[in-house]
Amino acid sequence: MSVHGCAHLASFKSAKGTQSYRVLHAYFIAGITEEARKKKAQTCFCHTCCRHTSRLHACLYCVYFGCYDGKHIREHALSKKHNLAVDISYGTVFCFSCGDYVYDKELEAIAKRHRRKAAKLNGIKEQYYEWEPTNFELDLLRRNPRRKRISDNSYIGLRGLINLGNTCFMNCIVQALMHTPLLRDYFLADRNVCHFQDDPSMCLVCEMSQLFQEFYSGKSTPHIPFRLLHLVWTHARHLAGYEQQDAHEFFIATLDVLHRHCKGTNGLSSSNPHHCNCIVDQIFTGGLQSDVVCQACRGVSTTIDPFWDISLDLGPSLHLQSSTSGPNSTESMGNDIGLNEDMEPTSLLDCLERFTRPEHLGSSAKIKCNGCQSYQESTKQLTMKKLPVVASFHLKRFEHSTRFHKKISTFISFPQYLDMTPFMSSRRGKSSNSSRASDNGYTNSVSIADNKYCLFAVVNHIGTIETGHYTAYIRQHRDQWFKCDDHLITRATVQDVLDSEGYLLFYHKQILEYE
Amino acid sequence: MKTAVNQKLIETGERERLRELLRTRLIECGWKDQMKAYCKDIVKEKGVENVTVDDLVAEITPKGRALVPDAVKRELLQRIRTFLAQQTKI
Ligand SMILES: [Zn+2]
Ligand SMILES: [Zn+2]
Ligand SMILES: [Zn+2]
Ligand SMILES: [Zn+2]
Ligand SMILES: [Zn+2]
Ligand SMILES: [Zn+2]
Repeated sequence: MSVHGCAHLASFKSAKGTQSYRVLHAYFIAGITEEARKKKAQTCFCHTCCRHTSRLHACLYCVYFGCYDGKHIREHALSKKHNLAVDISYGTVFCFSCGDYVYDKELEAIAKRHRRKAAKLNGIKEQYYEWEPTNFELDLLRRNPRRKRISDNSYIGLRGLINLGNTCFMNCIVQALMHTPLLRDYFLADRNVCHFQDDPSMCLVCEMSQLFQEFYSGKSTPHIPFRLLHLVWTHARHLAGYEQQDAHEFFIATLDVLHRHCKGTNGLSSSNPHHCNCIVDQIFTGGLQSDVVCQACRGVSTTIDPFWDISLDLGPSLHLQSSTSGPNSTESMGNDIGLNEDMEPTSLLDCLERFTRPEHLGSSAKIKCNGCQSYQESTKQLTMKKLPVVASFHLKRFEHSTRFHKKISTFISFPQYLDMTPFMSSRRGKSSNSSRASDNGYTNSVSIADNKYCLFAVVNHIGTIETGHYTAYIRQHRDQWFKCDDHLITRATVQDVLDSEGYLLFYHKQILEYE
Repeated sequence: MKTAVNQKLIETGERERLRELLRTRLIECGWKDQMKAYCKDIVKEKGVENVTVDDLVAEITPKGRALVPDAVKRELLQRIRTFLAQQTKI
């Protein structure tokens, strides 16, 4: 094997140049225009045995097509003394004099250009190319010869956090964020750019980056997150002070500050409902569809709102108020009458079922219908228009009303693997109008594993609403679980996690779509 | 029949899209890294001068086929079915 071509290819190139390779590649390998693709479809078979084999080669001298496995290209090469042929599938050149594929920088550059063009034509948005270190990175690697190898039983990434006085609400969220796979990859790959040039110490993104460095440094002593606490106090004033705060509120506030400090390009990402391409929105933002159906004319008005997490009601549904928090959080429009739906949810799926059920808004909450031009009774249904990479669920265990504050400690089971397909707009939206929803759902979805999630972190609240404590379970190496109780980290089983009460549940999408 | 399907796949660009999907999935699930490591071992053992691409292909193909996850095969099959269904409708 040679990466520097061979004498035969070199002499071919000096006699005839790269023109024949360029044309062959453009038409029969990459197919860079629609016309080329058509030609390719019609002519790609062995000229001797007429088979459409997967390892077809084209003679670089005379554009004869011959199969490799049936040896017809070899016969041609030997009888005509045409010793160079191109593999139609990959565009690599085979030299029959050398008896192997030979690699040539100039030809590879041509191939790469054509592949980019063809990808665009075929609607392939961005192809994945393996990381190749730049000269700068090569230099860095040479100057820093120490390497860390991470094995399956490595504890790297696990670090306790000192409680700075009722700051377990912060610690449990930090643990969940530090073990969010995509967020970790982003920060450890140094992808973040600081927008606080004049004062980086005020930047939460930089602090996050620093925290990831601390967590994955290999140190085992607990980290003291005083800088993070200070930043949160500065940027989210409602969380300042030494009393216990709500972990969910802290989570949303953190995402909000991170999003603001990232300064993502608004409007660039068309598939993201928040229209922001910052790392927070790329990972956490989903789109919630709300369909309001007028009971008089059956007209549907649809809106889509971005969300960072989904808050789910517990307890009997006499006074339903499911809502989402996030960018432009919309309070739910009315109270559910829900007289016939008195079942208390006992699982996450129950909660999601209830969340996406059409609710009658009642006569006290009439909405102006565009069709009728008057105020009418209507039903409202929420469904998932776009799923986020990380789905965060907030079980509303704390009830605050003018009369009382209480905690609902009902056991709500939640699965390790979650399929969101039943709650998608494509499935649900139709069910209210027609019964064909079940047939349509599957044929429309392109891939089957699209909506599957896997649990990777759970935040728990122990105790009462007055005196409580937060802990977190986090997943490491795909299937190992650990309990993070401030500075203490202990091993746990997946059963411990699934048996726990659950306050915030974090699921990661199993298959990612590329933008 | 097989020829017609093949031509349709190429003409519409679907073949390239499927190939890209497969490539991506095989990278995601670690298949590519496994195969790369396997090839490295073979090259190290025999010496780079004494191995041809054909030798490598012959040695890794059985293992490579066996290691493709079922979920990936299922997803591709589903995509091809969907494509064929759309084609027959037109
Ligand atoms: Zn043949
Ligand atoms: Zn020839
Ligand atoms: Zn040669
Ligand atoms: Zn910064
Ligand atoms: Zn953003
Ligand atoms: Zn109406």
